[in-house]
Amino acid sequence: MTTASPGGRTPKPPGVREEAGPPGPAGLDVQIGLVARGEVAAFDAVYEQVASSVFGIVRRVIRDPAQSEEVTQDVLLDIWRNASKFDAERGSATAWVMTLAHRRAVDRVRSVQKEAERERRVATSEVPYDEVAEAVESNFERERVRRCLGSLTELQRESVTLAYYGGYTYGQVAGLLGVPTGTIKTRMRDALIRLRDCLGVA
Amino acid sequence: MERPLKLPVSLPGRREPHTLAGAYAMDAISAPDRTRFERHLVRCQECAQEIASLREATARLATATAVSPPPDLKARVMAAAAMTRQQPPATATADGAARTGRAGLPRAAARLAAARGRPARLTVAAGAVAAVVVLGAAVVFGTSNGAMRQQLHQAQASSQQVAAVLTARDATMMTGAVTGGGTVTIVLSPSMGKLVFTAAGLHALPASRGYELWLIGPAGDRPAGMLPLGSSHMTGPVIASGLRSGDHLALSAEPASGTGRPTTPMMLDLAL
Repeated sequence: MTTASPGGRTPKPPGVREEAGPPGPAGLDVQIGLVARGEVAAFDAVYEQVASSVFGIVRRVIRDPAQSEEVTQDVLLDIWRNASKFDAERGSATAWVMTLAHRRAVDRVRSVQKEAERERRVATSEVPYDEVAEAVESNFERERVRRCLGSLTELQRESVTLAYYGGYTYGQVAGLLGVPTGTIKTRMRDALIRLRDCLGVA
Repeated sequence: MERPLKLPVSLPGRREPHTLAGAYAMDAISAPDRTRFERHLVRCQECAQEIASLREATARLATATAVSPPPDLKARVMAAAAMTRQQPPATATADGAARTGRAGLPRAAARLAAARGRPARLTVAAGAVAAVVVLGAAVVFGTSNGAMRQQLHQAQASSQQVAAVLTARDATMMTGAVTGGGTVTIVLSPSMGKLVFTAAGLHALPASRGYELWLIGPAGDRPAGMLPLGSSHMTGPVIASGLRSGDHLALSAEPASGTGRPTTPMMLDLAL
């Protein structure tokens, strides 16, 4: 699927090329298929598999616990409601779910910003992973992501962190980092390509 | 400071939109840019594939942040889902996409477009009365903390019936106030002739008395079941069956063993 992508794979990401990790939650795509048929038990299983990841990323982006919970609930209901639209040929179920979750979290943050031009804690970027004591993702996976982020250049890493975890647009990221927008755009893309290859996904 | 990756050689003139792929995959893009890029995606299969592959990477950034949600979230989600109609499978001219002028988008993108336009109705269901939470919890995963356990035990035998009502195509939810205090939430399926009843905040009765449900209407007045005894705030779920058109749901305080006809004033009147 990736070989035809315009970016191609980076020939050799410097340093790291990890073994492909454990596959995504076993059978998540199958479960989502069952959810599409209205099977409540399958939805229960899907909840068990994705709720912590959804809540994790939503909270990371939104910060406010009450709002995060609300948005998490919306995302999970989205899965229930739109399960029939998941298409396994277009990507993994995990990616589908996380895309829904992240998009919705970001939309919430931006709509709030629009309403109140609220001042957002700029320190966004560095919530250390370990901040969350009750974290559930295996150390292995977490460590792997951390290591792959570590394989990026500093500018790439900051761009990804601010954009993905901070919910900023590339224009805002450019402003925060004092770098031209054109540069930021390409760094973001380069960074994700490198991350993808390092993580051995897709 | 860093070695820029080379852009693909084979795509002259398309470089500008392509460079947005990373920002787009991270939702780091303003609404106008997003629209423009999605228009580009329609024509660029390769781009769509690249986005898909980059999203496998961003998904890992997300899962790495996993943290357990509050334990009561599941009950709310399951209950809300039980009362939420699902979307039919997408067809060639993907539903929401066509209307918003995004027809022809790769399904992945159309999917997102549709997701974005999701109506607020769900949130209403999601925020539904506390009683429904008990329902959802009882139905779907049958475990819970202290106060609910007793009700769950009672509900267990009928949990499949409850689930059947909650997931019925024509299931609708109604709420009503009880004279003297308390709120009633029901989910009703006319096609099944059944309803699932829960209540919150009912006034406690002496041990010798209990709340009895009634169906009242043209078909006659029939007892529809005793509410489980218990001191907890939440009551139910209880299933009442044999609904007829024109029925009202009523509630009265009766001897704990139940009676065949009401002996005290009705404390609730819900037209079904």
